[in-house]
Amino acid sequence: MLRSFEHKNAKSVNEAAGVLELGNAALIAGGTDLLGTLKDNILPDYPGTIVNIKTIPGLEYIKEENGTLKIGALTKLADIAASPTVQRKYTALAQAAKAVATPHLRDMGTIGGNIAQLPRCWYFRKSDNRFPCLRKGGTECFAATGENRYHSILGGWKTETSQCTAACPAGTDIPKYLSQIRAGDMDGAAETIMKVNPMPMLTSRVCAHFCQQECNRCQKDEGVQSGATERVVGDYILANADKFYKAPAKETGKTIAIIGAGPAGMSAAFYLRKAGNKVVIYDTKPEAGGMLRYAIPAYRLPKDLVAKFASLLEKMGIEFKLGAKIGDEIKPSDLEKNYDAVLYATGAWKRPVLGFSGEDLAIFGLDFLVEVKNWMDGKVGQEVVVMGGGNVAMDVAVTAKRLGAKKVKLTCLETRDKMPASGEEVARAIEEGIEIDPGWGLSQVVSENGKIVGLEVKRCLSTVDASGRFNPQYDENDKKVLTGENILLATGQGIDLSYLDEKYQIQLNRGRIVTDEDSNETSRPGVFGAGDVVNGPATVIGSVASGHKSANGISRYLGVDYFSYANASNKEYVFFDTEGTKNPIGLKLKELDAAARAVDKEDSMTPELSEGVTEAKRCLNCACYAVNPSDTAPALIALDAKIVTNHRTLAAEELFDVNEPSNTVLGKDEIITEIQIPQPPAGSKSAFTKLALRKSIDFPVVNVAVLVGVEKPRIALNAIAPKPYRSLKAEAVLAGKTIDEATATAAGEAAVADIQPLAATKYKAQIAKTLLKRTLLGTTE
Amino acid sequence: MTITLNLNGKPTDLDVKTNYTLQEALQFKLGLTGAKHMCNKGVCGSCTVIKDGRAVLSCQILAVECDGSTVETVEGIAAQPKWKPLLDAYCKWDAMQCGYCTPGFVVSAKALLDSNPHPTEDECKEALAGNICICGTYPRHAQAILDAALVMND
Repeated sequence: MLRSFEHKNAKSVNEAAGVLELGNAALIAGGTDLLGTLKDNILPDYPGTIVNIKTIPGLEYIKEENGTLKIGALTKLADIAASPTVQRKYTALAQAAKAVATPHLRDMGTIGGNIAQLPRCWYFRKSDNRFPCLRKGGTECFAATGENRYHSILGGWKTETSQCTAACPAGTDIPKYLSQIRAGDMDGAAETIMKVNPMPMLTSRVCAHFCQQECNRCQKDEGVQSGATERVVGDYILANADKFYKAPAKETGKTIAIIGAGPAGMSAAFYLRKAGNKVVIYDTKPEAGGMLRYAIPAYRLPKDLVAKFASLLEKMGIEFKLGAKIGDEIKPSDLEKNYDAVLYATGAWKRPVLGFSGEDLAIFGLDFLVEVKNWMDGKVGQEVVVMGGGNVAMDVAVTAKRLGAKKVKLTCLETRDKMPASGEEVARAIEEGIEIDPGWGLSQVVSENGKIVGLEVKRCLSTVDASGRFNPQYDENDKKVLTGENILLATGQGIDLSYLDEKYQIQLNRGRIVTDEDSNETSRPGVFGAGDVVNGPATVIGSVASGHKSANGISRYLGVDYFSYANASNKEYVFFDTEGTKNPIGLKLKELDAAARAVDKEDSMTPELSEGVTEAKRCLNCACYAVNPSDTAPALIALDAKIVTNHRTLAAEELFDVNEPSNTVLGKDEIITEIQIPQPPAGSKSAFTKLALRKSIDFPVVNVAVLVGVEKPRIALNAIAPKPYRSLKAEAVLAGKTIDEATATAAGEAAVADIQPLAATKYKAQIAKTLLKRTLLGTTE
Repeated sequence: MTITLNLNGKPTDLDVKTNYTLQEALQFKLGLTGAKHMCNKGVCGSCTVIKDGRAVLSCQILAVECDGSTVETVEGIAAQPKWKPLLDAYCKWDAMQCGYCTPGFVVSAKALLDSNPHPTEDECKEALAGNICICGTYPRHAQAILDAALVMND
């Protein structure tokens, strides 16, 4: 029995649209699709209101006007099939209407409903929304690797950005570049990544890889190791650097100063220079790279790679002014005068003040990383205590250990499962013998005669309050001392804005530069911010993205073209490797033995290209692989019909889409009102055929509609792809040709030239090919 | 809400909920069990009724949307002497086994003969293409209908 709902009989299309506009409503015409959907509770949401459009007068007719056949959207399929006019002049549509379901359903179902029906995929249709697939707000397609013999042979269609891409701060189109790797198009893969990230050879080595954690594969085996594949592409880019870091062909004449040669600054510089601007990067440090160069240990990111990347930027014509005295000799007000735009990307390097007894005796972890070599002199063999639970803390702890500390203890406020460091970083620390003792907060440094002997900590009960704000609570009665001669603090970094002199007015908020969300422009026109100085200490990839955003904002501000790699529409068929995805094991980076590891040698090695390809083949390219099941849809496309709605008139081909959950582009309050078909020229013929397992009450395995005997033949197939498929290749084969055994066979071959079947759908290609051939030959009889 | 049907030739008022299908309204409100509650998803044809001249599936129609409609069920057909030859032919040809789907077939057959008093065998098969019989009595239905047509046209 149906669950209850409110029922409204609409008197006009406007009235019905008004009800739909309010939301939580469904439209009912013939009801043959809707009631089944509701009875089985297929969708996550159940409509509160059902609006009946059968009560709208004047939507049920078949008439010819000025050489155009007009069919009201509420016209029943049985009437279309039985219409002598349709049978004679628009044969394919009459045959298609006659092929739908059963006589009973054709006497109920309407043409409008037939083209707007929902997918028939059995995972989609499973009762009580058992499989919340990506057509229903989920993230995966269960058919991709499940039962898919009725599914697509032409790939899938994404309803929205894939999980992995959405998880990447820079929005790297991971499925896309992985598919390019699979296709052997490394240049394409490189461009896809560099569209949002100019330094994948660096980020791949240090990124937190949020993308990997969101991979749908994580639910069954191992997520796609997109960090490893990014590294393969990154090193390919380095090896072919001349292709990817070219100086621009044209100069814009605009000049931009970037303060800070870290990931944000260099990212912005790359995109701005690509677009032809003159870019100068200032940095106080003697070498470029910022945190990449100075804070991230060399065993994770070799310093020659950072230097190599900076040199590539130089080759593009970007000028580096290193060792610059920002705020001292180089004043913000002068920069503003001398350049068309200024970007501050100065990072978060400042030691925060925590306020505990003996704080000045402890060392700031970031200073330790920067000065690591000097610092460790004479301290080998001592015990070290590290405070902090993030990735920097892990770097500090591991570096100290590798430099010869006898014992390294790490503690942090968070419990083990809430530590902000990434899982792989924590694993590395444990592997290297770091003792992790989480759940403690700073109490005081314990010293004897001015010499540190340990760090007293107190039990941390919780780190956030009920509203989710950082507000640690401690048990003052539960204290202990972690012994050690050195205390390293990695409990966060502050932002140093002392270079902005007092007269220089720029809007700040809690010590950060405030910028516009879209452009990263500050309160001063032409002055921009990027990276940690805007967002607070965050990830490298986050800074890359922020720098990119600033480059975009600066381009708009200067009125110059914004550089962007050719942006292929993401609305395209996508594929995965049916064999390669069976591999449950992700690509692991080869690493040096624990004994061989050092502070200045990279731990891990870049995988071979072939290993990268194998890993790329594990990507499921999450998309919907269900097919459009309509019989009348291909007939309407072949007949070049137009679909009229209450808002617009669309070509039949444009109507179809892959949405959540609909099969059309129709908006929330959009209602199909009429189908218009131009009368095919004299001498032409159209035809439709369908193959289903049962003659009656079944959906097509494949169906095909053709219009021939015209200058430009039209051929559409359905049930082979997420959208009705118009085969331009088959049309080209037939253009200007007489239909005979040879041309019909060639057209059949052309129609399936681009197939990439799923594990169980290959047979459909043979059917599609033969069905098209027979349909064409049938028109000659 | 209350709807009015012309049901089997008689004006009939029915108090229905919006979520009732026509099949449920007939069964729950009037005790008419001829239109069966079977697959309940528009596949099997056991709930076939004739609504405004068309053989349709009463399980896939909301009762509230039938206000003012003319509806015929197998009970109404069986009650008319005119259609006795159809029922007799079904018995004569034994076009049933367990009999559960038979009312649906008979209603579809009646709708066919209404619009086409001289059907061919293929037309009979086509008209019954929306009725499923798990006992597999298919070959006998066309025989029964052709036989009934002969008697009725006599």
